[in-house]
Amino acid sequence: MIDVNIHLLIQNIVNGVLLGLVYALIALGLSLMFGVMGIINFAHGDFLMIAMYFSYVLALALGIEGVLTSFITVPLFVVIGVAWFYTLINRVLKADPLIQIAMTVGILMFLRNIALAIWKAEPRGLPYSALLKSITIGGITISLSRLIIAIISLAVFFALHLFLTRTKLGIAIRATAEDTETAALMGINVKLIYALTTGLSLGLVALAAALILTFTRVDPMIGTVYGLISWCIVAMAGLGTIKGIIFSGLIIGLVEALGMSLISPGARELFIYLTFILILWVRPRGLFGVR
Amino acid sequence: MSRESIIKALSTRNLIIIITVAFGILPVLLGFNRYYVYLATQVVIFTSMVLAWNIIGGYAGQLDLAAAAYMGLGGAITGLLLCYYHLTPWIGMIVGALAAVGLAVAIGYPTFRYGLREVWYALSTISLVLILQRIYWLIYGTTEEYISEYIPYRWSVLYLRFDRYEPYYYLGVAILLVTLWVNITIRRSKLGYYLRAISEDEDAAEALGIDVRRYKLYALMIYAAIVGLVGGLYITTTGIITYRLFDPDYSLSVAVAGIIGGLGSIPGALIAGVILKTVEEYLRATFGAVILGLHLMIYGILLVAVSVSKPEGLAAIFTYIEKKLLKKGSG
Repeated sequence: MIDVNIHLLIQNIVNGVLLGLVYALIALGLSLMFGVMGIINFAHGDFLMIAMYFSYVLALALGIEGVLTSFITVPLFVVIGVAWFYTLINRVLKADPLIQIAMTVGILMFLRNIALAIWKAEPRGLPYSALLKSITIGGITISLSRLIIAIISLAVFFALHLFLTRTKLGIAIRATAEDTETAALMGINVKLIYALTTGLSLGLVALAAALILTFTRVDPMIGTVYGLISWCIVAMAGLGTIKGIIFSGLIIGLVEALGMSLISPGARELFIYLTFILILWVRPRGLFGVR
Repeated sequence: MSRESIIKALSTRNLIIIITVAFGILPVLLGFNRYYVYLATQVVIFTSMVLAWNIIGGYAGQLDLAAAAYMGLGGAITGLLLCYYHLTPWIGMIVGALAAVGLAVAIGYPTFRYGLREVWYALSTISLVLILQRIYWLIYGTTEEYISEYIPYRWSVLYLRFDRYEPYYYLGVAILLVTLWVNITIRRSKLGYYLRAISEDEDAAEALGIDVRRYKLYALMIYAAIVGLVGGLYITTTGIITYRLFDPDYSLSVAVAGIIGGLGSIPGALIAGVILKTVEEYLRATFGAVILGLHLMIYGILLVAVSVSKPEGLAAIFTYIEKKLLKKGSG
């Protein structure tokens, strides 16, 4: 009996870790935007939802693997992000936080309901994927798609870390996040950095969307749960830390995997939201934050 | 009519009389049409919630998105007590409102204690809606309870069962007027000044010796009480109890109307609530089958437009008219 339980526990931990890395990737764009620009993007999860639909439509139209659509959707979302910055975000940069939130809530409502109008409420998923296999090691089943996605997530984190620490543009982004006015005095075009950050944020969202579409389905309401998971991770991680994002993602993934299997599958969101509120209460500045 | 007399005629007391009369004769103007009176009831319920939201969102400046949590809790308690224990909604609504206040204190106290502001406050409140929705779903599942199956009366004042919507409508109007009165009273009271100071700059307010936490909690409790009460009326009107009561979109709509009306503006909240809900119901009736959620899409666009170009919302129009009248009146 105990043997079985330990086996189940290990299986859940593996699932939780793989899930957590994906969540961390989803939250990465949000963290960047919030950390660099201080902009509160409520619509993060809904951009993910729209990107999932784009990948879905492209994968079906071109008959390609869902993951490959990211070569089209990522550049597209970078452009959307830059356009979004110059048309709307730019105008609320100095506004009251409540007004900034209101603007992104407006975007959220628009995206969610336009998806509802176009694709209706039923969930859609890709009919097949070569990745939908699983491998078994010592009695632990690992879904191939989740494993690959976890590896890609880690690679993206590493690449972003290199970008932010080794390239001129990355350093300019960090300098802007640190102190906007001094950065501007040093000749950094702050508006351009902001626009690129928004683009990068949405590009990462599009990548995450293409990845998770291999194992999950999309519906117009899915943005809420992913948005809150992302905020949960950002709240836990604090600002200015990529490592913190990964650890926080892992914690959420483990809470979800263990909660679902040990208590009730229906309680999935309940655990995420409860964890979220508790974390907000206990650590307003995050567990790993450096700022 | 001179301009001074226009201003005088628009005094608060007269405005309330005008509003009361307008809402009072509305069913007559609608020809007591069953469907229209039902829609008018929904408009009145929604507008009461927007006015209640004005206290926490407008005056205290907290982007609260938990309206559907308090409303759902008040509604579910009223409805379930009525169905399972045959408890009259007159008491059930009070119990529901008290439960909503209890929840507001239980959540609000730690929230304000730990200094959750801005986005974190908004996120924790929307989470609250989803948490309650999940809990209800885990307990009762997706089953919908119809009050009519438990309380088969066609006309009962005790159980608030009517085969027309006018009684519900007038109850809604009564709650709306009370909410309006609460808003005006708070605006003129010490609490109102404190809340507006908090909304302007929380740290400065605290430095001036205002007990920020306590007054934010008061605002939250008043808001939750009204919304919980309205939830009870909502459930007796629609007669269906389901987990869908805890609807995050409803929360968003309430906050959107409050912002579009102009933060802290009573006429703004009133007019935005009435107009947005009326347009919503019109769109639902006209395009509902073809384009789901069209009204929410339009809310979204409006919200973006208001926040980018005119953060004062509809209230800017009233300020403009008032200024114009005063200027010309005095000169």
